Amino acid sequence: MWETVRRAAKATRQLAGAAALAFGAYLFISLILLSVAGALVVVGIGMVPTTTMLMRQLAGTKRRNVAEWTGRTIPERYLRIDGPLRQSLRGVVRDPSTYADLRWMLAYYLYGALGYLAVPLWVIGVPVDGVWCGLLGRKALVLPLIGRLADLDATWSEALLKPTPKALLVERVEELTQTRAGAIAEHAAELRRIERDLHDGTQARLVALSMRIGLARRVYDSDPKAARALLDDAQEQAEHALTELRHVVRGIHPPILTDRGLAGAVRALAASSGLAVFVDADSVEAGPRAPAAVEAAAYFVVAEALTNALKHSGADGAEVLVMRSAQGLRVVVRDDGQGGARIPQAGLDPRTGGSGLLGMYRRVAALDGTLTVTSPVGGPTTIEAELPCVW
Amino acid sequence: MRVVIAEDNALLREGLVLLLTSAGHDVVAVAGTGPEVLPMLLAKRPDAAVLDVRMPPGFRDEGLRAALEARKEIPGLPVLVLSQYVEQSYATELLGGGASGVGYLLKDRVGRVDEFLDALERVAAGGTALDPEVVTELLTRRRDSPLDTLTPREREVLALMAEGHDNTTIAKTLFVSERVVSKHIGNVFLKLDLPPSDSGHRRVLAVLAYLNGS
Repeated sequence: MWETVRRAAKATRQLAGAAALAFGAYLFISLILLSVAGALVVVGIGMVPTTTMLMRQLAGTKRRNVAEWTGRTIPERYLRIDGPLRQSLRGVVRDPSTYADLRWMLAYYLYGALGYLAVPLWVIGVPVDGVWCGLLGRKALVLPLIGRLADLDATWSEALLKPTPKALLVERVEELTQTRAGAIAEHAAELRRIERDLHDGTQARLVALSMRIGLARRVYDSDPKAARALLDDAQEQAEHALTELRHVVRGIHPPILTDRGLAGAVRALAASSGLAVFVDADSVEAGPRAPAAVEAAAYFVVAEALTNALKHSGADGAEVLVMRSAQGLRVVVRDDGQGGARIPQAGLDPRTGGSGLLGMYRRVAALDGTLTVTSPVGGPTTIEAELPCVW
Repeated sequence: MRVVIAEDNALLREGLVLLLTSAGHDVVAVAGTGPEVLPMLLAKRPDAAVLDVRMPPGFRDEGLRAALEARKEIPGLPVLVLSQYVEQSYATELLGGGASGVGYLLKDRVGRVDEFLDALERVAAGGTALDPEVVTELLTRRRDSPLDTLTPREREVLALMAEGHDNTTIAKTLFVSERVVSKHIGNVFLKLDLPPSDSGHRRVLAVLAYLNGS
């Protein structure tokens, strides 16, 4: 019996919260109506974003309140409303959640009254169930209904407050817009870096080389000895230029990827890493290849991770997994070192611990991928990269 | 000697032909694509082959594969592989079938004509020629190894040895007497726990086997 009463009491508390919210919603609807009326006469248009934010808070409170009852959180999906009035108004109008919240609020006008039913149920339930359950030892009849009421309120609210597929889509578009902007910026920065490397390094060296050959030609007859020295110098310049070019090329797209594909390239990395590395790249051995940028990023992740393992973590062994997933390419590098690796925040000195991690993170983010580094102090370190692509 | 050249870039191919003929060698055949290489080597049986790693149609590692195939068919066929960049695993693969008559150099080294010709001679004579860059990478990649116990001088000697030079050349390069060189080499073998041997390529093999931990 006490159990029944306790449960009913709990449901009542839940319903009381719901009823209070409903009361708030009633007031709020009036506010919205005012605001809409105001908007029609232009005066109240400035109220719209504020009103929307208030409505969101109300809906958010209801979501939390329902989540407490059901134990299932209801995700929120809102576009940001900020900036000047015009921009925030656009946010209000474009966000499908605005209409979903409104719909819920109107529905709540009707079913919000469920909470008030708890009062008569208590009045009836206490004597009835007191006799039925307390004295006769049967199952309680009336008081559990209060729990039902709370369930009903939760079910309806959840259905109405869940993010609509459209809202999820809008959010995803927003997210992609962000990452695309990031990717374009990243790409531009990369191009600038390559351009600078070529301009400051290789081009300058070739100019110097050409000059030395020109000088050697001038003194060729009059001073063969000087000409020879100049030619020696010219050859050295040419070799430097070639070395620099090799580095630039490697940075753009590791040549071994072209020669051997991703699986072969990763095996070569493992073989020359100086660690005992177990490689499983069978799933990318055959079949369609990932886009060049994705392969290069995956290669870069493995190379950096193994370099870090060797240099910083004191690891002896590592394992590398490269596999296709439904979303794209998955790369996992695990080492048995001492751990403690962190992705440094941008702006910090990248030389502190795992300098390669930031570059790795950027390279993966530029392709709309995710990078997770799990590295508790004491190890082991696991670096996982998910690179989206279409197979 | 009779040499076969496989290189897809016409400029470089002509350059190599010019270089080898002016040095008194006989270029018996040239190939510009990957599939031509193996039949050509089997038909001509040259004293040495100079091969580019990347060849059409695939522009992958056709030249290297042809070299490995050819050496399976004709054991000990001297091949000097040229590449735009160094890949350590290629060196390991090439040396896997026995290091006698194997060379792996960066294309840049062709510019140093005398050194390049010298390397080709070494390979044709059954020796080894490894690019210094491969050797440096091999020597710096490992950790907590007996390599750390070597003195800087001994490391220099080991590097030159791994490139395929004999004691005389090493002595000349380091401006010391041959006796000093062989003493250094003895120490290196001792510290790395390698069986001493005389011929150049077997020394390289031993060194590489050790460095690759295989």
